[in-house]
Amino acid sequence: MIARAAMTACLMSAFAGAASAQVAPVPPPYVSAYQPQGIDEIGLWREYDESERRLAASALVVRDAKLTGYLKQVLCRTVGDDRCNAVRVYVIREPIPNASMAPNGTMRVHSGMLLRIRSEAELGALLGHEFGHYEQRHGLNKFKARRTGTDIIAWAGLLASMASTYDTARTYHDLKVSVYGDLFRYSRNLEREADLLSIGYLNSSTLKPQAASRVWVNMMAEAEASARAKGLKKPNFEAIAFSASHPPDAERAAYLSALAEPTAVTRDDGAAQYAEALKDWLPIFLDDQIKLNDFGASEFIILSLADSGWTAPLWLGRAELYRARGHPRDLVNAADFYRSALDLDPALVTAYRGLGLALMKMDQASEATVALRRYLELRPDASDAGMIRMMLPKEGTSN
Amino acid sequence: MKLRNAPVGLVIAASLVIASHADAHKLREKGVKVAVADSALSVTPTRDWNRLTGKPGKNAETWTLDGGQLNDITFYGAVPSGSPLVKERSKKKEPLPKFTSKTLLVEIPELLEGTYRAYKGIGLFRVVSIEPASFLDQDGVRFTYEFTDTDGLTRKGEATAAIVKGELYMITFDAPRLHYFDRSIGDFRALVASAKIG
Repeated sequence: MIARAAMTACLMSAFAGAASAQVAPVPPPYVSAYQPQGIDEIGLWREYDESERRLAASALVVRDAKLTGYLKQVLCRTVGDDRCNAVRVYVIREPIPNASMAPNGTMRVHSGMLLRIRSEAELGALLGHEFGHYEQRHGLNKFKARRTGTDIIAWAGLLASMASTYDTARTYHDLKVSVYGDLFRYSRNLEREADLLSIGYLNSSTLKPQAASRVWVNMMAEAEASARAKGLKKPNFEAIAFSASHPPDAERAAYLSALAEPTAVTRDDGAAQYAEALKDWLPIFLDDQIKLNDFGASEFIILSLADSGWTAPLWLGRAELYRARGHPRDLVNAADFYRSALDLDPALVTAYRGLGLALMKMDQASEATVALRRYLELRPDASDAGMIRMMLPKEGTSN
Repeated sequence: MKLRNAPVGLVIAASLVIASHADAHKLREKGVKVAVADSALSVTPTRDWNRLTGKPGKNAETWTLDGGQLNDITFYGAVPSGSPLVKERSKKKEPLPKFTSKTLLVEIPELLEGTYRAYKGIGLFRVVSIEPASFLDQDGVRFTYEFTDTDGLTRKGEATAAIVKGELYMITFDAPRLHYFDRSIGDFRALVASAKIG
């Protein structure tokens, strides 16, 4: 309880005077092998144990011990070896960026989140944030707050129905809005607390805490790029919707940067190690993103990945993105991008296929035929070989 | 295609309303030729099927035996150039891939894949095979696929499609990999074989 009070005090002072740029405090002492206390927590853990059992058998989990092990290792570097042992990390193959933590220590990280992270420090910030929820038992607190809130509404509803005047009806409505508003505000404060803890862990680790704010800066830039490509207004990153469960991105980017230990700015952010650990998976996760039909966001991600140098899979991804949108101007670009991919890696078989199809749609049949023939030569047993063969002119005839 | 996110309450309310309605789920009887997807496409079923009332899109219609999650046959009839396969949740914010006059037969599996991925927000979808097929007396494409929905269940699918006068005609079958797909794939193929324009 004392730890909780101290934590709240830290939180208040950290956010009340964001301008004072106070760095995040050292995380509170930790007791390992925590067991659930009381009927609510025991019940909640049982439910999540069951959900974890189902998860472990799910086809959505990415079963790569090396990747999961790497995530766990970064978590340990962030929060410390004594803390991280309580956690089981699962990578879920879902392109929407998200991560979550269950009260029993099950951490889920979506593949779409890993695609958007660029360094070990950013990953540490994300995993540390989720661990913060676990350490402070936010799941239980939120459950209790929701129960109390809905109890109040239910009882007030009963009482209001016994004195049915317009005044009581109005008061009851006001009460409902206020209770729900309070629950959402509470949820946002828990997120702020987890953010504060994650920077606290990073400050005390060997990773660069300044990276945390970059995650949100990039997310905002991506949302803007996505909106621009769709012809929508620029999103407002400052506004807090009534039912928002998280603080707005701009606020998070600002306070995360203020909470970081200034002297830690010289630390390495581990970008190279991160890229190395994810190199087999990034093209796959990128492909999942490209096929979501969000042109602006996908293009933004490809360009940001290309910051550290264009690779054949990046050119191929960009080409597929343009061919999928398929305006005549896109096809011209797509053909160029397929060629760039093949310049870097002549063995990239799917690039011949894409190039051939793009050229075919541009009515350049003879060049298309060359590319498609090459595709069939390199992969005669391709799943669509029969279809592609049908598109080619018969041997011996001119086209 | 199953509409995953339809709010449960709405579905219950809707089913209560339509229970007494003449236009409720309709039986499609064995041997009776019937037009599908409000188009010139017609089929003659070799067994009884249920037509679901909720249409996934303007040019689409869904049939089932045990419910859309267990076996789902969707007819796409005369999808014009520039249209998505199913109705978009939000035209501006969540656009779906469109069929266009430039779409090649070999790209139709990509169109269905992109539609499923974007609509359901999933990452596990794999086209297993693509081969030429004759459909509606035209050169067409038959393809098979496999995907895992957000409910964690892996489903198999098979589809046959052709482009007739610049419009897309396609029939798809999705069912859980375990038991349901193999049980009804024969009925689906018989249905596809009976498909005609007009």
